Amino acid sequence: MSQPTQTDSKNTSAENSPMMNRRTFLKWSTIGWAAFAAVVGGYGTMVLRYLFPNVLFEPKQEFRAGLPTEYQIGEVSERWKDAFGTWIIRDQEKIYALATICTHLGCTPNWMPNEAKFKCPCHGSGFYSTGINFEGPAPRPLERYRIFLADDGEIVVDKTKKFQQEKGEWSDPESFISV
Amino acid sequence: MSSGEPNVIAKLIDWLSKTQVAKAIFRTGIPRNRRQRMTVMLNNVFLHLHPVRLPKHAVKIKYTWCMGGLSFFIFLVLTVTGILLMFYYRPTVEYAYGDVMDLKEQVPLGIMREIHRWGAHLMVITVWLHMFRVFMTGSYKPPREFNWIIGVILLVLTMLMSFTGYLLPWDQLAIWAITVGSNMAGATPFVGAAGPGSNLLALGDVNFITSASDARFAMLGGRFVGEGALLRFYVLHCIGLPFVIMIFMIVHFWRVRKDGGISGPV
Amino acid sequence: MDQFKHLINILARPYIMFPAMIAAFFFVFPPTEGLMKINRRLGLYKLWTNKGGVAIFSFMIASFAFGLTDENFRLIVTKPDNVPIVGLIFLVVFFLWLAMKQGWDNDARQAKGLKPNEAEDAKENILVWPDLVYIELIALVIVSALLIFWAVSLHAPLEQPANPTVSPNPSKAPWYFLGLQEMLVYFDPWIAGVLFPTVIMLGFMAIPFIDNNRKGLGYYTFNERKMAISIFLFLWLILWIFLIVTGTFLRGPNWNFFGPFEYWDIHKLEALTNINLSEMIYMIFLQKQMPSNILLREIWGILLVVGYFTLTPLILAKTLFKDIFKSLGPLRYSVFIILLLLATSLPIKMFLRWIFNIKYIIAIPEFFLNI
Repeated sequence: MSQPTQTDSKNTSAENSPMMNRRTFLKWSTIGWAAFAAVVGGYGTMVLRYLFPNVLFEPKQEFRAGLPTEYQIGEVSERWKDAFGTWIIRDQEKIYALATICTHLGCTPNWMPNEAKFKCPCHGSGFYSTGINFEGPAPRPLERYRIFLADDGEIVVDKTKKFQQEKGEWSDPESFISV
Repeated sequence: MSSGEPNVIAKLIDWLSKTQVAKAIFRTGIPRNRRQRMTVMLNNVFLHLHPVRLPKHAVKIKYTWCMGGLSFFIFLVLTVTGILLMFYYRPTVEYAYGDVMDLKEQVPLGIMREIHRWGAHLMVITVWLHMFRVFMTGSYKPPREFNWIIGVILLVLTMLMSFTGYLLPWDQLAIWAITVGSNMAGATPFVGAAGPGSNLLALGDVNFITSASDARFAMLGGRFVGEGALLRFYVLHCIGLPFVIMIFMIVHFWRVRKDGGISGPV
Repeated sequence: MDQFKHLINILARPYIMFPAMIAAFFFVFPPTEGLMKINRRLGLYKLWTNKGGVAIFSFMIASFAFGLTDENFRLIVTKPDNVPIVGLIFLVVFFLWLAMKQGWDNDARQAKGLKPNEAEDAKENILVWPDLVYIELIALVIVSALLIFWAVSLHAPLEQPANPTVSPNPSKAPWYFLGLQEMLVYFDPWIAGVLFPTVIMLGFMAIPFIDNNRKGLGYYTFNERKMAISIFLFLWLILWIFLIVTGTFLRGPNWNFFGPFEYWDIHKLEALTNINLSEMIYMIFLQKQMPSNILLREIWGILLVVGYFTLTPLILAKTLFKDIFKSLGPLRYSVFIILLLLATSLPIKMFLRWIFNIKYIIAIPEFFLNI
């Protein structure tokens, strides 16, 4: 810190005896502006954080989907589509739960039994019953939900955990039930 | 036609304009001569938006197409009808759709929503055509570059206003248009959970950018288009964006005058 | 009659209509002197006369009238939410004609050594009260009347209550974003939904700083600014308005493409099986297994994209855009050419999709990075 001569400063003009020299001024202005930027940045971050609430009120993410015997081999069941956004599909060796959310932009595809494919009405993406994308703009296959058998033998689908094929997660034992 | 009648009306207007009340409100009186016509432009705060005199080409409709002025006028219409619509509309998933139905069925003069919606479409069109006119007359060239930038921002804001309003009826059209639109935000590079580079912002196994912490979430206030999204879009549509658009409009109009008025041949 | 409609349906297919429009565009709005000569020889500039205007509008009205006799066409065009787009088509064409007519008129005057019409008018000063305020008042009254008439005669659409589990088929964005939705068919959301809108916005803001031609300020002209006007109209008319019209009238269930007189059949089958460039190169040309290394797998596409944005500007600066490069200088030219190449990447990707069924040039779904 500089030591301005306090007795003179009142009488002489600022040019002759500056209150502060250039270096001190730069130092303090740097500190001042840095503090200002920090406060603005801090407030900005807080406002940004304000947009993300701590508690979310969302519908239940887990549901019971009946017994495995209720599903036929080769069937794409639309039973839980409206209520829980899930297709339950049973093939030769397993049962799995597909999310009804198109991986392109989140529309709900329609199951077309005659053509044996899911077809998205928004941009025309097509998926096989396995969830693999084969046409249109969807960049990756549909996601599968965690699925397991409860103690009483009923199927339980847990939508909080997702399995993505392109990450190699479909071989995870939690992503299907062997039957 | 009787010759006496117009005189009576003219005399009445004349008399009215000389009363103390009229003089208090309109300082100039009826603008009849050249001096009065100039002072009326200067004395009235709204008319003062315009200059007093203009070169003739600047008022020709085949030059200006009137699109900028009409955009502003439609904005005012939308403000008024929008405020009226707010009296009956509640932005919750439970009530929104029913309230919009009631606007047609249960409220007198059931065309308020129609005027608002068609007006919004019309405003998008007039704003585009205004931009087209400004381009075709080269009016973005110096010294008006900055005002062109403001204009582009206003155009984008107009479309955002329209987009946020699209969700409010809470029908199928609304929710899916916003689902698609907001999923695009989710694909933003680095800050969207489904965008490239989102896995780069991670500490070990913990991803910072997830569907509950990305750009899309900030827009929707939730992980899908629901209660939070409806409220956020409502607030943006009715207060947030109009506030911003007003500020830019003020700058836009101010700069039209400061940059030398409407463009013309040098 | 049915055969005629069938022919129109075929002509309306994107891979026929779009190239045809682009080809015709540069003759109608010639950006260079050479194309200008062809334009004059073909007499295309006559579109921008009174007779031409009558011809354009008679043709448009006749087409619409003819179309309305067809049930499928009528069904789509008269949907309440589509009415603004019908209005948009007519308004855009009208104002395009108005601007071009005045531009060509002024060009003809300047060829004779006269000043543009606006300069003649500008010699005289008028008072804003009453000459302008009354014009404004009349305009407001007309628009208010139009709006009220429109509101009374057409109900604002209100569909079924929102249902998060059933997407309507087709699901469309608001009409002014249909250009973006069309891009979404060809590009991933982060490009079509985030990168492109940002670039469009910034690119438009950059126009005054890229266009350093000082001529043509404050009056309509075509000849003095033909390159600028041609590029702008290409972006605005073809890549924006035209895509909106396509998205509104020609995109049906499952986002399939339908001709104007075609029935919107939900079960219309269209093979959209697409293939990535890397798959094409390794599996079809080289007959090999795909390499497991991502970078090695996608190297061809990466080279192609990097080359597109680095080599093309250099080549163009030496050849087609020689004069532009000279007048703009390196910095302006770089900004201009990158923006232009980004814009042309859309039609290029469209053609790649239509002709080779290319899905991605670079496909790295592992990082959501697909181009």
